[in-house]
Amino acid sequence: MAEEHEHQIYLQPIPVRIWHWLNAFGIITLTVSGAQIRFPEYVSLLGSYKSAIYLHNAAGIIVSISFSLWFFYYTFVARSMANLYVPKVEDLKSGILRQVKFYFLTYFLGWDNPHHPSPDNKFNPMQKSVYLAIMFVMMPLVNLSGIFLINVDPLRGLIVMIGGLKLLAVLHILLACCLIAFLPTHVYLATLGRTPTDHIKTMWTGWEDEEEGHGEEQQDESKGEKASSGN
Amino acid sequence: MKMDCRILWSFLLLMVLAVPLSASAMEMDDCLGCHGDADEVGDELFIDADKFTPTVHAEMGCMTCHESVTDEHPDDGEAVTRADCLDCHEELGGQYMATEHAENAVCSDCHNPHQVHGIEAVSGPEMNQQCSQCHDGIDVMDSHAEWLPQASLHISKLPCITCHTSSESYVIVLNITQKQKKSEGLKGYRFSSYADLKEYSGEKEIQSLIDIDGDNHISLAELRTFNRNPAYKNLHLNGTMVPGEVSHDLTTLDNRYDCTFCHASGPGSMQTSFLSFPTEGGTYQRMSVEDGAMLDTLYGTPNFYMTGSTRSSALNIIGLIIICGGFIMPIGHGTLRFLTRKNRQH
Repeated sequence: MAEEHEHQIYLQPIPVRIWHWLNAFGIITLTVSGAQIRFPEYVSLLGSYKSAIYLHNAAGIIVSISFSLWFFYYTFVARSMANLYVPKVEDLKSGILRQVKFYFLTYFLGWDNPHHPSPDNKFNPMQKSVYLAIMFVMMPLVNLSGIFLINVDPLRGLIVMIGGLKLLAVLHILLACCLIAFLPTHVYLATLGRTPTDHIKTMWTGWEDEEEGHGEEQQDESKGEKASSGN
Repeated sequence: MKMDCRILWSFLLLMVLAVPLSASAMEMDDCLGCHGDADEVGDELFIDADKFTPTVHAEMGCMTCHESVTDEHPDDGEAVTRADCLDCHEELGGQYMATEHAENAVCSDCHNPHQVHGIEAVSGPEMNQQCSQCHDGIDVMDSHAEWLPQASLHISKLPCITCHTSSESYVIVLNITQKQKKSEGLKGYRFSSYADLKEYSGEKEIQSLIDIDGDNHISLAELRTFNRNPAYKNLHLNGTMVPGEVSHDLTTLDNRYDCTFCHASGPGSMQTSFLSFPTEGGTYQRMSVEDGAMLDTLYGTPNFYMTGSTRSSALNIIGLIIICGGFIMPIGHGTLRFLTRKNRQH
């Protein structure tokens, strides 16, 4: 086993992988059932309207619970939430710009990714910023608004207090659209590894191939970037 | 001379027509003189004048239904006759008699003839009072929750007869509700009474709160003005669906089990709507709302959202733009990636 992973790093622990795939299937289910709930005249993939609602509610609750477990795991068990997801001053000052420069310029010239993931520093500065918005703002809000929409009657007073059912529904739909929009980008970026399936395999097995000689490149690209020390 | 004759005949005709009306009014006062006092006639024969007077039955006068009453009543010892409900309500009665309900309850078990109002004059919760006399609320909730998503929401927002009816058409009825005060000990909203709304309208009629131009019809602009007026921030419109025609065939049509009967964009049945104002007498009076703009009307009602029905096309477009935005990276970057693939072959 040790030999098998000699040139690999264990990047995605089991709880994270379970959470990721649960989320993936959950979000796809929510997208399809949500489309049927909003456009019943045009979408009938899941049969009756009622089954679309039940499936949407069930998937929503599963994704919400899975989100809570993810939050609990990273904050209290792995204790790496802040380190992984919150961009550091350096990330904001130069990291994001460097990563943008890579994705939109130097990648096409054949240069290597300036960021080298490690278990302590999985995400590049751009990823950190995007995930911060998604995982700390959009996901909690879409989950919460969904829970409110499932319980309109018992939570009527609270719903009125936050501006009414309509505002809540609009918020839920707009956030859902933002998260759906993230999917194609997310899947596409996942193909930007050394091979198109590299990152996807990592999310399935947990192991990622260690990149050779990236230390020298990193010195050229970003002096003092913390990522290099972990690899 | 001919003119004078016409005036004379018209006067006589008016007199003839007016006599029964005044006699009818006199009779009702006479009857209520005794029957309006529970101490005098007992609870069984007591008629609550406040509740009876605003009814359509009161307009017809007591003698219409109790025609055997003489001037000597009750000293003549004659039993007072009662009209059969089916004498007038033949069609509705016929429908009802064919249902299983008829084996368990007669008309007056649900409708007190001295208090009953037409469907236009009662609120949704009042429509349900008849049902809840026999059907326990918890049982109703449980049996619906077995198959109906958001059962409590449906039951709290819709009168039972919205689904349990043979009426094909529906209308939307909007009621004015208001935030409950702390002194009332409850949170949420309750139906505004006439007195509540009078506090807002002052000297003017309460209808003027929404029907600004006083034409007895509410335009979309008037509805929006009401919804946006900060002075009415504690007032909300509460929408519900009510059968277009009253029916007493209490079976449920098959299409009502299909959620998309209501939860689809713009069903034709949802184009007619009314605003229901409370009256001084405790009943309701409907005022028509601009036709053909039902969904727009509901968009103007902040707390009314019906999944699938009240969707906004503007929001659909914004959502689509956001989702399309998610494809910019794969398509744009992917194209450049393909074109520059040789640079990465090392």
